[in-house]
Amino acid sequence: MGFERFIKGATEIGKAMGVTLKYLRQKPITVQYPTEPVPVYPRFRGKHELRRYENGMERCIGCMLCEAACPTGAIYVDAAENDPQNPTSPGERYARTYEINLLRCVFCGDCEEACPTEAIVLGHDFAMANFNRRDFILTKPELLNPGEPNVVIRPE
Amino acid sequence: MTDLVTLKIDGHEVSVPKGTLVLDAAAKLGIEIPIFCSHPKLDPVACCRMCLVEMSGPRGASLQPACAVPVAEGMEVNTQNENVRSTQEMMLGFILVNHPLDCPICDKGGECPLQDQTMRFGPGISQLVEPKRHKNKEHLISDTIVLDQERCVVCWRCIRYLQEWEDKPQLALFERGGETLIDIQHGQPVDAKTGGNIIDICPVGALTNRVARFNFRPWQIERTPSIDPHYSTGDNIRIDTRTHQIRRIVGRENMQVNDQWIADKTRFAYEWVNSDQRLQHPLVRKDGELVPASWSYALQYVVDRLKEISRKNGADAIGGIGSTKLSNESNYLFQRLMRQFIGTNNVDHRNGGDVAALATGLPALADIMKPQYGPNPKVDTIFLVGFDPSEELPILDIHLKRAVLRGGAKLIIAHPRQIELTRYKGPHLAYKPGSEVTMLNVLTKLAMSAGEKNDAELSKLLTGATQQALKDVCDVAVDEAKRAAELLAQSENALIIYGPMAADGPNGPQVINALTNLAMITGHYERLAYIGLDANSQGCRDMGVLPTKLPGHAELDDAEARARLEQLWGCTLPTEPGKTYKQMLDAAGGAIKALYVMGADPASERPDWAANLDKLDLLIVQDLFLTETAQLADVVLPALSWAESNGTFTNCERRVQRAPKALTNPHTKAAADWMILDHLASRLGANWPYADEKGVLHEITEAVPIYRGLTWEALGDQGLQWDAAQVRPTAEYRQAVQPEATASAEYPFALVTGTVSYDGGNMFALTKQMHNIAYGPIVGISPADADRLSVADATPVTVSSPYGALQVQVKISEQVKPGTVWIPESLPQSPVGALLNGSSAEYVKIEA
Repeated sequence: MGFERFIKGATEIGKAMGVTLKYLRQKPITVQYPTEPVPVYPRFRGKHELRRYENGMERCIGCMLCEAACPTGAIYVDAAENDPQNPTSPGERYARTYEINLLRCVFCGDCEEACPTEAIVLGHDFAMANFNRRDFILTKPELLNPGEPNVVIRPE
Repeated sequence: MTDLVTLKIDGHEVSVPKGTLVLDAAAKLGIEIPIFCSHPKLDPVACCRMCLVEMSGPRGASLQPACAVPVAEGMEVNTQNENVRSTQEMMLGFILVNHPLDCPICDKGGECPLQDQTMRFGPGISQLVEPKRHKNKEHLISDTIVLDQERCVVCWRCIRYLQEWEDKPQLALFERGGETLIDIQHGQPVDAKTGGNIIDICPVGALTNRVARFNFRPWQIERTPSIDPHYSTGDNIRIDTRTHQIRRIVGRENMQVNDQWIADKTRFAYEWVNSDQRLQHPLVRKDGELVPASWSYALQYVVDRLKEISRKNGADAIGGIGSTKLSNESNYLFQRLMRQFIGTNNVDHRNGGDVAALATGLPALADIMKPQYGPNPKVDTIFLVGFDPSEELPILDIHLKRAVLRGGAKLIIAHPRQIELTRYKGPHLAYKPGSEVTMLNVLTKLAMSAGEKNDAELSKLLTGATQQALKDVCDVAVDEAKRAAELLAQSENALIIYGPMAADGPNGPQVINALTNLAMITGHYERLAYIGLDANSQGCRDMGVLPTKLPGHAELDDAEARARLEQLWGCTLPTEPGKTYKQMLDAAGGAIKALYVMGADPASERPDWAANLDKLDLLIVQDLFLTETAQLADVVLPALSWAESNGTFTNCERRVQRAPKALTNPHTKAAADWMILDHLASRLGANWPYADEKGVLHEITEAVPIYRGLTWEALGDQGLQWDAAQVRPTAEYRQAVQPEATASAEYPFALVTGTVSYDGGNMFALTKQMHNIAYGPIVGISPADADRLSVADATPVTVSSPYGALQVQVKISEQVKPGTVWIPESLPQSPVGALLNGSSAEYVKIEA
């Protein structure tokens, strides 16, 4: 009786260990976040970015259409006139102030949709925790990607 | 009733007066016909072809422009059929061929008729594959207006406005066909004083406001109906705000006041409201320096010092200066504070008790106006005495031009300068400054003989008024005076307007006597009007900010008014007449020990006043900026501007209008004028019952009989006039004596002053886009005199009188008469008051 139980138990353990050994040979599904990056889908909507053209100019022209499209009032734009000698963006107008309040944003992507120059895009960064409420308001230096143009901007 | 014409539009019958355009007849039925070039306030030109509709005519149905064809009996109009629709699509397609479609960066985007009509009537697709034409994108046609020739649809509205209203054809069409563009002529910028109106009427984003450029989007601004803070015509405006800032100012229609036009200064000069130079907190002088203090400390300090000075030197050692730039409420409480708690009648404002004014103001601006579709103006002759509307009140100026050009009115001008309106060929009496009385007396005499009206009593009073005197004293040609007198005598409805320049100083009472005589003998006494220049010149007088008048233009010894006010205020009113503005400032440091200055800057007017103010025991200044006067003050109380608090202003035709609060500034500790005064009063022992400005206005309606019933709610968006008959003095002939003139060999030039729109005041100077058009420190000299003195433009010279000297630059001007020099008031760094001695007439010399 005792022996039979022993054999049965050993078999069960052997079965269970079999499952473990089977998965030991496969690649693990878990990821070492945050030490390793997590892949996201290409159309994932994360933290916003303001893009530049290849010549280094800002794409944003300060038209405020993103602000109008935003369902939660998370965007604030103030436009100004470009200095013809030292332009920020092509044309006469650029965004002097561009702010996004992440506490209000619902990451719907309507701003991307509304943008006539594809300046504002929702990127793939989703880790946006912060210690300070004020830090949830992103301003132009935090939004621009790349922050500094990689090339020298010349007026056309 | 005029003849009615009945026609059919889309099968609906409608009856409209003869001469109505098909467009307006359709609008009556609620049928919208798209338009670009047509404008309800401009002549039809039918150049954009957007309004083509099918009309029945003698040759069958054809496409005709609805904006230019008047209705005809039995006409059948079709605005909806396939032919009309495809034409509309085609027209829009043509208009859009070269339109850049840069709507995202266009200021018009969101309120653009081209956008709206493309969505409503457009084809919905583009057939264009070729590249678009390119023209100038950022083309300045003046310092404040930007023209984008690519966006222009060549509708001519701007050209027509400048032609029909300003009578200054400064814009024109150039080139042909698709190359057609609108531009300035010979590189001369648009300098019409109301030129900014072309921005409002542009149907696309071709003309944009350079001051407000890119500062707003139509869908995000808050709109507050308000009124103009600069001019006494009280032009109706709309203030557009966002994030506690004024983003733009546009015109608002009021057919009784400004049609829909506003002056450029009103439109563009608002930077001072958002300026970071504004005072943010109370300042109190400690150890010779102004340091920030709390409100409670500053107010208590003011109260303690006022009580102390009142105890030591008597109530009449304290004076108060109100302001024509502030609301009725502020001024009413200011004089109540001075009269009730200080116990003095020493309360006045600039151009207040020193100027011989009439309480009644203009009969009505609508009497001069000639709207596009409306009757001719009631007034047939306009006589301007010492008043230059082109500089002083630009909206009245366009009304006058229009009345002359289209309403058949005649213009007579008596002004020492050859002002802009003299180009209408009316008689121009270029009198020597200070000789108004002689000129008016002679004119009265000539009018008597021209109108064959002999009045023995009046003839006796005019003994010295000979044609010889007109030549010798006034230097006016007799022929011109005769023409003027004939026009006045023949006129049925003449309007006589005089400005502060003609009635200033000791001359004033004599001028008003002479004017009354003239107006009475020609039968125009009810239309004799004094016109103040600032936004609330009229209201300031109505509220009793005068040393000899109680609120409502009541005399100090008017028992009925005294009883009413004493009962309402619960106090006894002082009886002694107070000192006027000039007397207070002359006596400052002497008989006057303390001054409370609200919204005025006397130190910048005359250097000796600045010195006097420095000698005061206590100077309290309540203002928006650290003005020259505020820099001398012991206590500076920061106030709010007209846009940041509620208030009512009374314009030059006695129309009381609302200027509601349009924005708040969350950063400032400044308070509204009425609230500062209310807090001061409560520290002086009162318990005023006002919850807000509307409460103050409610009390005004009880205290001032002429304002009865004019509550905040009753005023509405268009304001209400009070009845002038209640305060019009009884007409009687009085003798007018010409004061002595003091020309001498040493001081040969007569000095002409006067106000200009683009001066050095804070309200104007803080708008940097307008710096180029502002007057610098100049002296205007006639070409003949410049030759004689051998000076050229911009030569620095010293102008001196027995009372002082001024460093200025020569500006040779055809407008200036030989023998006179012209220095406008409040120019930057050149206070013309330094040369004057209380009067506006003085003789000066010029040294290179």
